[in-house]
Order: sequence, then C-alpha cells, then structure tokens
Amino acid sequence: MKNIYEPLKFKLDKVVEESPLIKTFFLTPDEDFTFKTGQFVEVTIDGTGEAPYTPSSSAWVKDKMEITIMKAGYVTEKMHKMKGGEILGIRGPFGRGYPIDKFYDNEILILGGGVGIAPLRCLILTMLEEEEKFKKIDICFGAKTPPDFIYKDWYKELGDHKRVNLLRSVDKADDSWDETEGLVTVLLDKVKTDFSKVMAVVCGPPIMMKFGTFRLLELGVKEENIYLSMEKNMSCGLGKCGHCAMGNYFVCKDGPVFTYAEIKDYPNIWI
Amino acid sequence: MKNYAIEREKWSEFLKRIAQKENIYAPFMREKNIEYLHVNADNADSIEYHIAKPTSSVKIFFFPIKENVVKNALEKRQIIIGVPACDLASLNLMDKIFLDEDFLDPYYQKRREETILIGNDCYEITDSCHCTAYDIAPYPTKNYDINLASHEEKIYLSVNSEKGEKFFDSIKNGDFQEIDSLPDAIDMKRMKTAEKVKKQNKQLPELDSTRKLVLEDHEKVWKKFAKTCVSCGACSAICPTCHCFLLLDKENFEKIKNWDTCQYPSFEKVAAGEDPLRRLYDRLKNRYLCKFVHKPDMFGEIACTGCGRCIDACIGEINKNELIIELSNC
Repeated sequence: MKNIYEPLKFKLDKVVEESPLIKTFFLTPDEDFTFKTGQFVEVTIDGTGEAPYTPSSSAWVKDKMEITIMKAGYVTEKMHKMKGGEILGIRGPFGRGYPIDKFYDNEILILGGGVGIAPLRCLILTMLEEEEKFKKIDICFGAKTPPDFIYKDWYKELGDHKRVNLLRSVDKADDSWDETEGLVTVLLDKVKTDFSKVMAVVCGPPIMMKFGTFRLLELGVKEENIYLSMEKNMSCGLGKCGHCAMGNYFVCKDGPVFTYAEIKDYPNIWI
Repeated sequence: MKNYAIEREKWSEFLKRIAQKENIYAPFMREKNIEYLHVNADNADSIEYHIAKPTSSVKIFFFPIKENVVKNALEKRQIIIGVPACDLASLNLMDKIFLDEDFLDPYYQKRREETILIGNDCYEITDSCHCTAYDIAPYPTKNYDINLASHEEKIYLSVNSEKGEKFFDSIKNGDFQEIDSLPDAIDMKRMKTAEKVKKQNKQLPELDSTRKLVLEDHEKVWKKFAKTCVSCGACSAICPTCHCFLLLDKENFEKIKNWDTCQYPSFEKVAAGEDPLRRLYDRLKNRYLCKFVHKPDMFGEIACTGCGRCIDACIGEINKNELIIELSNC
C-alpha cells in the first residue's frame, strides 16, 4: 500500500540562478512522475522541512521536472544553498490544476508577476505542445525591475510562437529596458481580445492578483472565467492537516486553482 | 443486536483475565482528572464507568499527539472501554477526513480497524455537557462495537457490530447470560441523564441557529471573549473533532505527524508573510466557523459533539456556550 506521507526521491541535477532571490532547480525522478499543469508538489529537504511548489516545466515531460523557488523561509534558504547532486523528497502531485480542456478553442489571457511566472511557465509550455488547439494566447508579464524577470532567455522564443502575443512591463525601468514601464495591469489595456469570452489566468503576489482580477472584471471578463492560483500554507496536501483551510475549501485538495466566482465571497482571500 | 448480562464481580474477574493477553484501555481517576489508562489485573476494579467523559477524547487512540508516519510499525489490536457517546459521534467526521478514499491515511486506518470500541452510557454529567443540544444522546447510538450499561449488581453488554460480535464470541465465557433486551431500568437511567443535560442547556441555541450566529459579524463579542485567550490550543487538543496537524521532518525523509491548531499564531501564515488569522479574535472565531459552518458544509457532519471539554480545558475561562448565548442575545 502506498503511504501518503512518504516522499518519492528526486535527484537534483543542477541549479540555475534566475534573479538575486530566485533559482530554478532541475530534478530527475527515480521513476516517471506525472502531474497536471497547475497542480503542486510538496518538496522535502531531508531532515529540514517541506514546502509546496508548482512545477515550472511542461506537464508533458515525465522524466524531468523543474521547480523555480524564491528564497522566503528556512526551507527555501537551505534549498538555495544546494549546488546539485543532492536528493530531494517529493510528495504529490496534489490538488486541482488548470482545466485545459475548457481552454481549448478559446482566447486565453495570462497575467503574471514575479515568481508567479513560474507556474504560468508550466501552463504555457503545456499549452504550446498543442498550440493549434487555442485561438490566441495573450501573455502579460510583470516584474519589479528588469533584472527581476526570471527565465531571461525564454521570452524571445516565446514571443516567436504564432498564437502568442507577449507583453512585458517592469515597475521601474532602467536604460536597458525598451518595453512598458508600469504595473503589470497597464498591459491589459494593450490586449486585443473579446473580454466577455476570454479565459483569464492570474498568478503572482497577492496584491497583483487582487488588482489584476479587479481590472479584468472592469474589462468585462466573467467571474467564472478568471482562474486564480491561490497561495496558502499547504502542508499535508491531502485535505487533512487544516493549514490551507479557506472557508469551505481545503486549498490543497479543492484548489490551488480556483475561479474568482468560487472564492469571491470569502473574507481575506487576498491575504 | 445481541444483549448479555453478567454479575459485576464476574465481569471484573473476566476483565482481569483477558487483560493479561489483550491491550485494554479504560477511564481511571488520576489525581483530579479522569484519564484513559492501560487496564491490568491490579486496577481493573477501579475503572470509572458511566462518567460524563474522560479528559482526553477517544481521538488519542487513532490520531496520537505525535506519530512517525513513515517508519512506525503499525499498532496491534486495542480495546477501549468506556467511550462516551459524544466521542463516538465524533468518529463520523474523523473517518471522513482520515479515511477519505483519495488519500487514505494508513496509520489511522490500521488503528481504526484494530480497535474494539466498547462504549458506555453516561449516568453522570458535568456542567459543561451539552450533547443533547446537538441531537446527540448521552448513550451510544452509533459507531460502537459493544455498549456497556449497568444497573444494580449487573453489567449489560449490547453487541452492535460484526467486529464486536466476532471479538466477543472469541472471549466470552459461561458467566455471560444472553438476554432478549435490556431491563427497563436502563432506559429510565438514559432518559434521566438526557433530561439533566437538556435542563442545564435550555438557553443554548440549536445547531441551525448556532450556524447563523457564528456566520454573523458580532465583532464585539468575539473581541470580548478573545481577551483572555492565550492561544494555548488546549481547546483543540481535547476536542474530539479537531484534526489539524503539522508534518515535521526527520532525517531519512521520515515525517512526524504532530497535533497543531488554528489557535496558534502563524498557523495559516504563508512564506510571503501574509496571515489570514493574524488577529487573536479571528483565530477564536475561526474555530467556531470550522465547527458549525465549514465542516458541516464540507463533510455533512457535525463537528461539535457537545462534550464541553473546551469549556473545562480553557485556562482563560472562555465558555463556548456562554459565547454562543451572548451571540444569540445580540
């Protein structure tokens, strides 16, 4: 019988620095590992602790996995010191991811900021495997400053995709920056899509998710078409330990992806 | 259901004998508290039957305070004598959480399977008892394998489950006499206890109104009652349905499942620093929302069985029932 508390072993192949606080960890599982885009895993640093992350690599790839992690607490601090060769524990995948089948034949609008671009990269890479099934993919990405953008080499290639329209902004530009300056929500005014039908996906810091969602609603996006990836303190991932309770949901099991319509009536969803 | 009668003295002898082979627990007076302790030949005569409730709920047998959930060997059979109806009622919810078919907890499952639950009627109550307010009788009606009732010099056992029957058939002796039904006097005792519980909770709103009351704002009341809360978490520790835990890490990827509670600061705090329950009165209220709104909505089960232990355990003397009554007076 499978023990829900026992992690699988993944080997850390290499670590790539994305920004001063963010690194991507390249992993190889002992055996093939499948997940749906938007689902998360619990990563164990042996003897130290466990924390939830969403993979940033394509859900089509089963023998490798990438996870991008921001240094924020004692588990991530220890991870950031790793160089490669270490063994990590992984439990999961957990929760409800993005409903890709509902996205087929639709225009998609993706709004992301900071390290929130990581789960969106997984979504985008997964979608691009069957690009022809989506009408159009508008992507609005933001970061604080140009060096804060993660996946620096990815955007050129991403922008070249036929159905992708990529827009980027930084809160504060420097001399190297020739794209938009301003909060990521200003990019929404440049998007040409049928807002009443578009499927919108938002992931980023809470404050960005809040104002991003409000702007989308103003533009006419339907509450049930706004998909939010909620950050809560998921611990067990199994709907038992209670740490990620949000009203009548356990975010780990019922989420982490929710439509705005599903959660708008709960207090404190943005904090 | 098969019923049996046995003389008290013979029952005691019987217990002493089976205690040599079986792993039996029952409530005993220990200083000021009544605790579940291991039964042996020396203490079997002083088991506390028919009391309102042991200090700890029955969850300690299925969901221990601390448990290695990667390495521990699974437990052998255990027999728990004297489980009150309020605790038996809590198992509906606990089973739905830990035996959820998507993520079956193998440790909880094994312990549930390997446990014989011998419930007993409550003939005594304490000031905090309020099971009847939530439609739970003060005598076992579900989730037990065998029930124990008593009257005068006799103990009456009612075998309720297949597991209980198999167990009882394997250990019973000629001192047990099968009877058609329990004596009327037992019914009378049960009704009398139920009346006593009802009488002391006349003012307490019913479940439906309680749900509405905790959903309303009433910030003043929550702030007032939270004044003496010290976030010690005793209310959760002794609650038969509080199931929250933390996974702690040990070397070699071992994990310790350790009781936790939303009453502790930072319980919901995320890595980026946001904490929906950063305010003390929000944490206090969260516990009531969980019991009377979220758990019933999510699992269709009541999450407060009216045992009243949270009232007894609170060092800040927060009385759950007084709080609910104050909400109803707003």
